Amino acid sequence: MKNGLLALSAFLLASTASYAADPGVSDTEIKIGDVNIMTGPASFIGRAVSVGSKIAAAEINEAGGVNGRKITIITEDDGYVPARSFQALTKLIEVDEIFALNGTSGTANVLAMMPLIEENNLPTVVTTAPNELVYQPVRPSVFTVGASYSDAFYAQLKYIHENTEPENAVYGLIRQDDDFGGAVEAGYDRAVKEFGVKDGLRIRFKKGTANFAAEVAQMRQAGVNVLANGGIIAGAANILSEARKLSMDLQVASVWSEDMPPSVNLSAPAGYDYLVADYVALSGPAIDAFLEKAKKYASDEEVAAINRYTYVTYVGLKALAEAMGQCGQDLTRACTVEKLRELKDFDTQGISAPLSFDNPEQLSGTAVAVYQLNAAEKTFTALTDFADY
Amino acid sequence: MDFLLLLLASGLVSGAAYGLIAMGFALIFKSTGVVNFAQGELVMLTAYISFTLYSTFDLSFFPLMLVTIPISMAIGLVLERLFIRPMLGEPIFAIVMVTVGLAVVLRGITIMAWGPDPFNFNAGIPTRVVTLGGVPFYPAQLYLIGALGVLTAAGWAFLRFSRMGIAMRAVAANETAALLVGISVSRIHAIAWMLSAAIASIAGVLFAANFKLAPDLWFQGLRAFPAVILGGMDSVIGSAVAGLVIGVIENLFQGYVGQGLREISGFIVIIIVLMVRPFGLFGSKDIERV
Repeated sequence: MKNGLLALSAFLLASTASYAADPGVSDTEIKIGDVNIMTGPASFIGRAVSVGSKIAAAEINEAGGVNGRKITIITEDDGYVPARSFQALTKLIEVDEIFALNGTSGTANVLAMMPLIEENNLPTVVTTAPNELVYQPVRPSVFTVGASYSDAFYAQLKYIHENTEPENAVYGLIRQDDDFGGAVEAGYDRAVKEFGVKDGLRIRFKKGTANFAAEVAQMRQAGVNVLANGGIIAGAANILSEARKLSMDLQVASVWSEDMPPSVNLSAPAGYDYLVADYVALSGPAIDAFLEKAKKYASDEEVAAINRYTYVTYVGLKALAEAMGQCGQDLTRACTVEKLRELKDFDTQGISAPLSFDNPEQLSGTAVAVYQLNAAEKTFTALTDFADY
Repeated sequence: MDFLLLLLASGLVSGAAYGLIAMGFALIFKSTGVVNFAQGELVMLTAYISFTLYSTFDLSFFPLMLVTIPISMAIGLVLERLFIRPMLGEPIFAIVMVTVGLAVVLRGITIMAWGPDPFNFNAGIPTRVVTLGGVPFYPAQLYLIGALGVLTAAGWAFLRFSRMGIAMRAVAANETAALLVGISVSRIHAIAWMLSAAIASIAGVLFAANFKLAPDLWFQGLRAFPAVILGGMDSVIGSAVAGLVIGVIENLFQGYVGQGLREISGFIVIIIVLMVRPFGLFGSKDIERV
């Protein structure tokens, strides 16, 4: 009887070893959550994000996992609705018991989830919403990857100014009348002031605008020949289409959403070899190698969904796995957060600039490279290396 | 002058899109007294169906519309039979709520079937720029303006001279009296939905040919709604004209005043007009607003 009690006590002690660890970790598995836009018009972002996590997890698991533990990705759809993001993360924490979070949807969505992230000290890598509101004020367990729209536009306009600026250059800006548009304008403003070029016209438009004929006519009237195009996807394409109709000779800087295949398909017929600046690579050996990897770990349908959001989420999970790996067998959220905070020059194999979170904002990947579209072939060529601006 | 012409031309293009969508709203309201909040979704769904037909059979514009329109009319009939007919006799508000629900369902079905990616859809219309009176146009823009002209004329002739059109006006004027003289009101309702779906398909295809095909196309239904109010809820022709008025005013405001006043300008005009003529520019005085 006494021996039985001792054996039971020993068993309970041994079993509490795993219960003592943070949720989402067992001897064989680490559960990583992913709150994402899987339905609705913006779901092409969510699908791409999801594929990035899947490829990174498959690659890590094939190499033996994180100190022998396999990564399991659990995805929840938020439909790009902040209230649903909160519900989704509640479910991931309370029902699925995730250990960390990699997919975080849009800016408003990650902000909606922030109380839960902070309350649970959930190691979180934000890869698709590099917005100042996310990393200021700094939340201890939140690490952000990505550059600002402001830097992205400044980088492109700097390239145009130094390399391809037309004679009698007149700069113009068209942007959404929201925070995103404000960030675009900040980069434009910095560029025109610093370069001392003629600021021809700045136009705001409401999200969802389809017909830009009046705005583009205004641009032509103002003599604009360097355009900071703050439209996205169909909006950006409609702006370029109107410019083509008016036979405008333009150098065009664009939002990084315009390097995604659906956007390129819409905009390329206008014939403008526009620029984009992005904090992930769009072409070259790193992307070729990634796509080979993708064919190994993802279905044809998933490979077709790959875009820049796939790359950025892939590097996000790799960075998270690196930090978890450094914690050894005693994996806890506190340790992971500490290791992420110490992460320096983490090599992403050329997919982005090396990642370092050892800065006050816990922000990395701020370096952007400038690319140019070949509209006829729908391919991008790198014009600059990754650089901070 | 050149700038003014550009603004007027672009105003006519966007106005024609508003007008076409608004005609669909007005046609159903005139015949049934119901504001169909799924009209924008009908525009979107029929445009996507046309896109599939175009991608599959590589048709040019007119053959494409010859196939798209009957399919759209069939969809209109099915929607009316399944969702609206069972609500006959129920309060108008309840029927309007059914159309709101229908809108959500159609939106979901469209994204499920075609996905969230936007598409280039030229609908078999050439994309070479043509110049008229010194103003450049894409052919699809001219088709849009032309379609509004043809449909407005056809709509006027239909309501004025055809047996069916006169029956429709009779139902709109007094449903009970129309029933008493032997007009099948339920048949008129079904025909209104079919014709409205046909107009929606033309609007949807031409809008997509001009401004891309994307899952937010349904939103144009809301953007066109001020044209229905301005023209008069029960005036099919008035809605078409009001669409043009709003389109031109919006573009002139954007061009000369700028900075986001495009959307506001249309509503300013509506407020002023409704203060003088509460039933709209061409509407009947005694219509019931929902």
